[in-house]
Amino acid sequence: MKPFEIIDHTADAGIKVQGATLTELFENAAKGMFAVIAGEGYKAQGTKVEKKITVKENRDDIESVLVSWLSELLYLFNREKIYLDSFRILSLNNNGIEAEAGGVNIDLYQSDLYREIKAVTFHNLKIQENEEGFNCVIIFDL
Amino acid sequence: MAYAWQGKLEKLDDFRWKIPQSYKSGMKVPGIIYANEKLLPEILNDKAPEQVANTAFLPGIVKYSLAMPDIHWGYGFSIGGVAATDPKDNGVISPGGVGYDINCGVRLVRSDLTLNDLKPRLETLVNALFNNIPSGVGSSGNIKVSAREEKEIFLKGAAWAVKKGYGLEEDLEFTEDRGFMEGADPSIVSKRAYERGADQSGTLGSGNHFLEIQVIDEIYDEVKANSFDLFKGQVTMMIHSGSRGLGYQICDDYVKGMVSCLDKYGINVPDRQLACAPLDSPEGRGYLAAMKCAANYAWANRQCLMHLARNVFEKIFNKSHSSMGLKLVYDVAHNIAKMEKHRTNRGERVLCVHRKGATRAFPPGHADLPEAYKETGQPVIIPGDMGRCSYVLAGAPASMEETFGSTCHGAGRRLSRSGAIKTCAGRQIDKELFNKSGIIVRAKARGTLAEEAPEAYKDVNEVVDVVHGAGLSLKVARMRPLGVIKG
Repeated sequence: MKPFEIIDHTADAGIKVQGATLTELFENAAKGMFAVIAGEGYKAQGTKVEKKITVKENRDDIESVLVSWLSELLYLFNREKIYLDSFRILSLNNNGIEAEAGGVNIDLYQSDLYREIKAVTFHNLKIQENEEGFNCVIIFDL
Repeated sequence: MAYAWQGKLEKLDDFRWKIPQSYKSGMKVPGIIYANEKLLPEILNDKAPEQVANTAFLPGIVKYSLAMPDIHWGYGFSIGGVAATDPKDNGVISPGGVGYDINCGVRLVRSDLTLNDLKPRLETLVNALFNNIPSGVGSSGNIKVSAREEKEIFLKGAAWAVKKGYGLEEDLEFTEDRGFMEGADPSIVSKRAYERGADQSGTLGSGNHFLEIQVIDEIYDEVKANSFDLFKGQVTMMIHSGSRGLGYQICDDYVKGMVSCLDKYGINVPDRQLACAPLDSPEGRGYLAAMKCAANYAWANRQCLMHLARNVFEKIFNKSHSSMGLKLVYDVAHNIAKMEKHRTNRGERVLCVHRKGATRAFPPGHADLPEAYKETGQPVIIPGDMGRCSYVLAGAPASMEETFGSTCHGAGRRLSRSGAIKTCAGRQIDKELFNKSGIIVRAKARGTLAEEAPEAYKDVNEVVDVVHGAGLSLKVARMRPLGVIKG
């Protein structure tokens, strides 16, 4: 099972994500998003950083938690210039997520990164369950 | 050939195609796509027509869900989509119908310079622009503002920049809405949005945003060109940017909230990215007031960018920008929602016109036009791709009759980004453009060049032919690129 796959979208970009569990799906979605930003196989160099992430939604809606989780990571990338590449989810339910993420501080200006994800969208977003686990397609606004 | 679009599409005439309301149960109005036979196959192979049908679900939508000829697959709305909703008929406002880059738009600056004046210094100029105008992912600039000052930007838009000395009073006259929308409320903008906006004024951004030096190579309407102060052989400059991280954050904040509104107000839409709330609700009013903050920020941003560019021209030519006639022709927003008066079957109404990748195109005589353009109609600035050409059009009467005063906004993508990279594998786009057409391109990151290669876009000539043929906006002048800077 491929953790994620970057898919074609005319104007923007998307990822098809899979995971044996919901936790794995969320971790893979995070990896997929950073692969959209930097390309698959990108190795960021810099000072190591650890971050604790808590998102509370209270909407009883797993897709809202997924969008908020990715938006939170995107915020850390844009504002604190942290390229995140490891994710450990501590708790996850329909109302929120708690996780630890690790990455490195990067100098965006010096980097060769050129894909700016403006936002994580809800476009046709639906987490589906089958015998292999969970999957969904996430579209990012570029 | 089997298209991705399997639904019915009725040809109304050479430029108009109708998706009947019966296509999907839940559509409140039919869809109309503006296209010609050449553009249609690629449109039908994209997911955009489905999005035109989905947009027709919005409560209070008036007449049609519209799509301009540069239509392509977006999220929620198609890009190139126009929808007007009536607040008196439970009409809604949808942040996805504006987009994350609130008031992304284009401005065109004219000059007295001709191609011959520029040629010897073109490369120096392009390099200097590239070095002095911040661009790229997450770029921040030298114009840093405090939270107090940011509030002033939210309230005053481009006028804030002019007051700071980043431009002239007359620039405001030639900006849509004079560069600010009334009713912005800085108190409802999130802390994160403030943070993201603090250091991004006067920054271009990345992706399809650009600053381009051009020359006019064709005039279609001498009288209107004269009124716009344009002539053949003239050097112009085009700037494409928006509200940067501030706008993305405001949209993000409100889309999330509005997903909950779907249940609260019993709204049925087929895609959650079409999340919306009644215009006459606390959520609807809140979004509109926050959106206006970002719209005003974007106008200030393009004003700052023009100011930085004028400074570069002054340095390179050793003359004042006014002595080179570097005047703003017009600045248009192409991702925005506006309350505007339009004629409907129920008489004149104030409607909320969503333009998601569409440009306002008010015709001659419209009350909102500056005096100088009352007789010509509004200048409509249409950027093409970095290899072909761009256009200046003038708003025309059919836009008021059919499209709520709207027209296309650019060429529109035809290839996905990975599709473009595949097509351009092993090629050096900047060298090709230089060797073939003498166009000097500077980009922060090489990857941008492949994703933004001319082949990635539809032929803007075809797009413009459709809106001209349909009478939404008429051709005035065509520009070809000389130098391009990108993020």
